[in-house]
Amino acid sequence: MSLLSVAGVTKRFGGITANRGISFDVAPGELVGIIGPNGAGKSTLFECISGFYHPDEGEVRLDGRRLTGLSPDNVCRRGIARTFQKLRPFSGLTVLDNVAVGALTRTKDVRHAREQARELLARVGLSEKADAYARTLSTGQRKRLELARALATQPRVLLLDEVTAGVDQRTIPGLVQLVRDLHAGGLTLLVIEHNMRVITAVAQRIVALYLGEVIADGTPDVVARDRKVIEAYLGQAYHQP
Amino acid sequence: MKAIAPALVFFALAGLVPLVVRDPFLLDSLILILLWGAAGAAWNIAGGYAGQVSLGHSMFFGLGAYAAALAGTRWGLSPWIGVLVGAAAATATGFIIGYLSNRLRGPYFVLATIAFSQVLLIGASRWRGFTAGSEGIPVPFRAGFWTLGIADKRIWVWIILALAVLVWLVELYLERSRRGYQLAAVREDEDAALSLGVPARQLKVAAIAVSAALTAVCGALWAQYVGFVDPVYVFSVDISIRFALAAILGGLGTALGPFLGSVLVTTVETYLRAQFGGIGAGFVGIYLILYGVALIVMVRFAPQGIVGWVGARLRP
Amino acid sequence: MILPQLIVSTILLGGIYALIAVGLTLIFGVMRVVNFAHGEFLMLAMYLAFWAFALLHFDPYLTLVVSLPLFFVVGLASYRFVMRPVIHASHNVQVFTTVGLSIALQNVALVLWTGDSRFVRTDYYSMVVRLAGAVLNLAQLIAFAVAVVFTAALFAFMRWSYTGKVMRATAQDRDASALMGIDTDRVYALTWAVGITCVGVAGVLLSPIYPVYPTVGLQFVLIAYVAVVLGGLGDMAGALIAALVVAAVEVIGSYVVGTAWKEVLYLLLFIGILVVRPAGLFGTRGAEALGT
Repeated sequence: MSLLSVAGVTKRFGGITANRGISFDVAPGELVGIIGPNGAGKSTLFECISGFYHPDEGEVRLDGRRLTGLSPDNVCRRGIARTFQKLRPFSGLTVLDNVAVGALTRTKDVRHAREQARELLARVGLSEKADAYARTLSTGQRKRLELARALATQPRVLLLDEVTAGVDQRTIPGLVQLVRDLHAGGLTLLVIEHNMRVITAVAQRIVALYLGEVIADGTPDVVARDRKVIEAYLGQAYHQP
Repeated sequence: MKAIAPALVFFALAGLVPLVVRDPFLLDSLILILLWGAAGAAWNIAGGYAGQVSLGHSMFFGLGAYAAALAGTRWGLSPWIGVLVGAAAATATGFIIGYLSNRLRGPYFVLATIAFSQVLLIGASRWRGFTAGSEGIPVPFRAGFWTLGIADKRIWVWIILALAVLVWLVELYLERSRRGYQLAAVREDEDAALSLGVPARQLKVAAIAVSAALTAVCGALWAQYVGFVDPVYVFSVDISIRFALAAILGGLGTALGPFLGSVLVTTVETYLRAQFGGIGAGFVGIYLILYGVALIVMVRFAPQGIVGWVGARLRP
Repeated sequence: MILPQLIVSTILLGGIYALIAVGLTLIFGVMRVVNFAHGEFLMLAMYLAFWAFALLHFDPYLTLVVSLPLFFVVGLASYRFVMRPVIHASHNVQVFTTVGLSIALQNVALVLWTGDSRFVRTDYYSMVVRLAGAVLNLAQLIAFAVAVVFTAALFAFMRWSYTGKVMRATAQDRDASALMGIDTDRVYALTWAVGITCVGVAGVLLSPIYPVYPTVGLQFVLIAYVAVVLGGLGDMAGALIAALVVAAVEVIGSYVVGTAWKEVLYLLLFIGILVVRPAGLFGTRGAEALGT
């Protein structure tokens, strides 16, 4: 029984079909990677799943219940949380309050929410920054904040959008370990990633997109050797036997 | 407790003044400071806390003023009923404006609020059958508490002070409560807030509706106090700007800010009126020039307002 | 037969509104700033024409020659001292800056010249021309003609000149333009100045037709905004067409419900557009929700 099921999702913008008939399932506890060159439709897919866009065709279901057509805040309350590729911290709020906002979706008590926020900050390694304003954080720290904030909503499925993009090489391993730990703790993850080394190491399954369609869906080894995937990234002249 | 101490001191002082001061001119100034402060604080709920800047809040003020005036003149009802009716009408209008705030962002929304207030202005000025047209409505003075016919300015100070504290408490709630946190998130980044499960659309509408109702109450009490409702003044863009100005000068999105801003704005205005009022109506415009310049300077150099400026200096 | 009169009045009025609206939409299109003080510059131009007439006996059309370069400079100066510091600030800061400018200018006029209405009563102000069964006020006709010429020149400039292309590029993508080596600050200064010059010209043209008082700007700027939004914020051609539509609503409305209620008509039109199709007749759908 899949936790998250994407079935035939199609999204058009004027003359462009950003997502075409995208279908795949995510089982509970799975870490699925989404890869594809620029313009493949990965972010659009995330927007469709999280409720920011409504697909023209197809459905998204969580635990069998329809998510398509719900507003983003509703989708979150049902159990999908996400991070953004272009980080969006609440700059004028403290780091703690940023996370508390997420926690307040599950609890009505502000004090309780703040306690939960502290715990989450500890988990992502941002405890010392709790009272700093979010705008003072470095990119790597912002990524952790975004993660903690999303986790505060106690999601069933967490959508991570390019978590290693824009950070220097030294910060990546720490972030990757964080993702691994979350996964080990039982969280179901859907991860958009450009860094092939990272995603093949972490994901149990990879779904490859190209020009809005799914071109491969399988374990990292299989997908990495898939001819269509290689062509998509490198072009037809480069395909290897 | 520490954070609200300055506000408590402010309100306590305001409450004590009538016990010591008899001069009606000074009491009148205090009443106006508190009233414009309350209206500015009401605006602050939508503009500061929810981040929905409107320059048409005079529509709510005017609705309240007219409700109180009409209750008294047309139907012989207690103006307190007028306060309730005005608040109800304003809330309904607030829901419409709230709906617009979800469809329009930025400058479009500001323009829409201005247009709305102008429609009400023209309507009130022309609809002679109902509102006595552009001559305005004199509010009848009938002595007694339930008719809000109070000659003693000291009592007025306390009535308006009660209103001011009420609005301040609402602001405080917005700072401390769960909804307040969520609203702050919406203000910072609406989409990010949505992704975290914050019901942004509904919160914005609610904030605007509450802001509208409180502004209308200010309008209704103002009408009773001043004794005359002139549509061109009461629905003017100038008044809408005045609410925003008090909040911005004092500190947008802070609870005490609008009251401090009002102290500044009202005292300058009263002083200038007193100084130059006799010379010619033209000079009265000087304080408005100062407002304009103050607005330009404040948003550029001290967007946090007085409260922010002082706060930054007090913080270690 | 009332129709020719209505049509002619619409066109004449629309021409002036177009000039005001086009400058406003240009500023928004390129700079993404909503200029709440636009009407005040119009008011200042009207006062300029009045005082030139009253003190120097200058015919407004002579003042026009002076007002063009003068308001261009005023535009550059106001950009430099008021707008440039906040050009990259949040939208709210910009709104309050132009609102503050608007209040300051209105009241400078009030303090200097009192609230009395002034009117430029030229010798020919009541002269009329008869055309196709309609009666046109000569001053209105000239105003219209000049407005058309000016607007056409502006369009030509934006379409075919290098600077015009640079401005359009900046409107489309600020960052990309900067990366291409375009000095966006100079583009903004120029855009603002051109917008202000448009109202500078419009104001002088209006002076023999309408009385001037310190708050006259509000009325015209509201009309201009209706045209700007209807035509799609940033779309100059749209603003032009929309200005005619607004003029039509005003003229026909005046005729049908009387002058007292005509303002309500275009305000309701405005609200209606904002609710139904905020991007305007020609704007891209959804542009209004982005606030950009």
